[in-house]
Amino acid sequence: MLSIRNLNKKYGRFQAVSDLNLEIPEGEIFGFVGPNGAGKTTTMKIVCGLLRATSGEITLDGTDILQNIKGIKEKIGYMPDFFGVYDDLKVNEYLEFYASIYNIKGQERKRITNDLLELVDLVSKREAYVDSLSRGMKQRLCLARSLVHNPRLLVLDEPASGMDPRARFEMKEILKNLKGMGKTIIISSHILPELAELCTSIGIIDKGRMVISGSNAEIMQQVYNKKIVRIKVRDRLDDAVMILKEYPFVDKLLTGENTIQAGFGGGEEEMSRVLSDLISRGIPVVSFAPMDGNLEDVFMKVTKGDEEQ
Amino acid sequence: MNINPVFLKELKVRMRGWKAAGIIALYLLVLTAVAVFIIYTVFTDLYTSSIDPQVSIGAYTGLAVIQFILIMFIVPALTAGAISGEREKQTLDLVLCTRLRPISIITGKLIASTGQTLLLIIASFPLFSMVFLFGGISAKEIMQLFGFYIVTAVTIGSIGIFFSTHLKRTTASTVFTYGTLAFLAFGTIFIGVFYIRIFYNWDYQKFLPILYSNPLAGFGSLLAEQFGYYGGINAFLGLSAGSGQNSNAANAISPWLGNIIFDVVLSVVLLIMSAARINPVRKSLFDTVRIKRKIKNKD
Ligand SMILES: Nc1ncnc2c1ncn2[C@@H]1O[C@H](COP(=O)(O)OP(=O)(O)O)[C@@H](O)[C@H]1O
Ligand SMILES: [Mg+2]
Repeated sequence: MLSIRNLNKKYGRFQAVSDLNLEIPEGEIFGFVGPNGAGKTTTMKIVCGLLRATSGEITLDGTDILQNIKGIKEKIGYMPDFFGVYDDLKVNEYLEFYASIYNIKGQERKRITNDLLELVDLVSKREAYVDSLSRGMKQRLCLARSLVHNPRLLVLDEPASGMDPRARFEMKEILKNLKGMGKTIIISSHILPELAELCTSIGIIDKGRMVISGSNAEIMQQVYNKKIVRIKVRDRLDDAVMILKEYPFVDKLLTGENTIQAGFGGGEEEMSRVLSDLISRGIPVVSFAPMDGNLEDVFMKVTKGDEEQ
Repeated sequence: MNINPVFLKELKVRMRGWKAAGIIALYLLVLTAVAVFIIYTVFTDLYTSSIDPQVSIGAYTGLAVIQFILIMFIVPALTAGAISGEREKQTLDLVLCTRLRPISIITGKLIASTGQTLLLIIASFPLFSMVFLFGGISAKEIMQLFGFYIVTAVTIGSIGIFFSTHLKRTTASTVFTYGTLAFLAFGTIFIGVFYIRIFYNWDYQKFLPILYSNPLAGFGSLLAEQFGYYGGINAFLGLSAGSGQNSNAANAISPWLGNIIFDVVLSVVLLIMSAARINPVRKSLFDTVRIKRKIKNKD
């Protein structure tokens, strides 16, 4: 449904997103994970037409988003990470305003407003001023707002950030509901475990680069059960990849500039075998570093930036 | 027909409660007091109790001037925060990510924020009509005046919106809006004076095109033309140009008409630039070519 190819975004000379690739099929719940400043918000804003990419191509249902921006916006519902509300509107007026933008009128508008308030559990607050809501409620209202035009793709930027555990739980329940409704969702977070049970696929981004991506099961298996080895070579990256592919227990290769991220099914014995093979075939290996299988560790360590100095 | 949703929302908020009605009532009260005061003064001046057109002309001019000054002061305050305020409150992205086109957001904001002033102007209409009953003023002249008000309000509103989209902070935007207005109202006169002094050897009969941009000149010339009053600053600026009195500028158009044309052009340009500014993905010519080529390649 959504396809991002070689996306780059520079703010002045600062590269916020580098060569990002992503395919999100219909019905997928994609977890977009990365520490603060990784480039999640930037990527999401570009997808929603709120920011221009420096280069790269994004298509939604095969249509370039720049080609028909209005049509694209009708298909996307966006919830920003930071947002304000109009302090002088009531909850139902707030939703009705956004509905009116999509030309939804009269009874239809009332019905949609009611349904959404029910979905986000704010029925009792319909006559309250938006400004008087708690942070968690505002966040739920903003989610409802992103749904008024019944979009097929939801882009949710850290919808649970800054919430207390109870509000977080409620948000998660709503998201599960949306999942059940068959929406395609991109949801970002800087905490991986938070997304684990919700998402069908996950991508980890750091310093603008996609570090790992795959199905939830793949990522989890890799993160929990397999060793991840980071191999750095001085040269002949492609040859190194070819050699690694010969081993059945090596999978999920991810390459960067002179670096390869490989998932190892075997133990230390297999690792040393592969390493000596690489060296004997003349690959200039600079480092061959297995990483701990711990989730948070991978998340912290699986980064490109710290090797590029 | 679809009414601009941004406008409708702002209308709902601005008209809620008694505040809006209170402002209108207060405004009318002040205007009425002014009118009564002028009528009273003129009556006592003339030592007469009969109804004289001078009286209504005096009241009309007084009301017209006050209302004009009011527009110049209120509209910037209401528009200069229109977009920057949304940016500061972090609500702009929420509208920009909808299907609403940037130009609709801009015009919705413009109509809503100048609309409040327009409402005051329209509410004062009955007061002007009362003056009209005293004689000396035609309905056409009142309509002309109100037309001029509306054009001026929308133009000042467009200037406010322009700065509000191009500057980050509402305070900066407000300062620049008033500054621009001060330049149009006074700066152009200074430039005109220098110009006349240097190139026309103090020949004040010339009307300089730069003064078409001056709202005061436009307003003054409108009143002057309505009552055939040529004196003081009007003569100084050559404001009688086009009214047949001034041979030097016989073929130039009236300053107020010129000002209206200038205003309309300026507003359109500023609004289009504002819409382009808030459009996060505005296409350059290059993009259009690139996308066209891609479509062609697919076929
Ligand atoms: N408008 C901007 N101008 C300059 N740098 C920016 C701007 N917005 C974001 N950045 C930088 O780009 C990087 C990515 O930011 P962001 O996409 O917000 O990350 P995330 O959402 O993953 O926390 C950060 O280092 C941030 O400082
Ligand atoms: Mg962010």
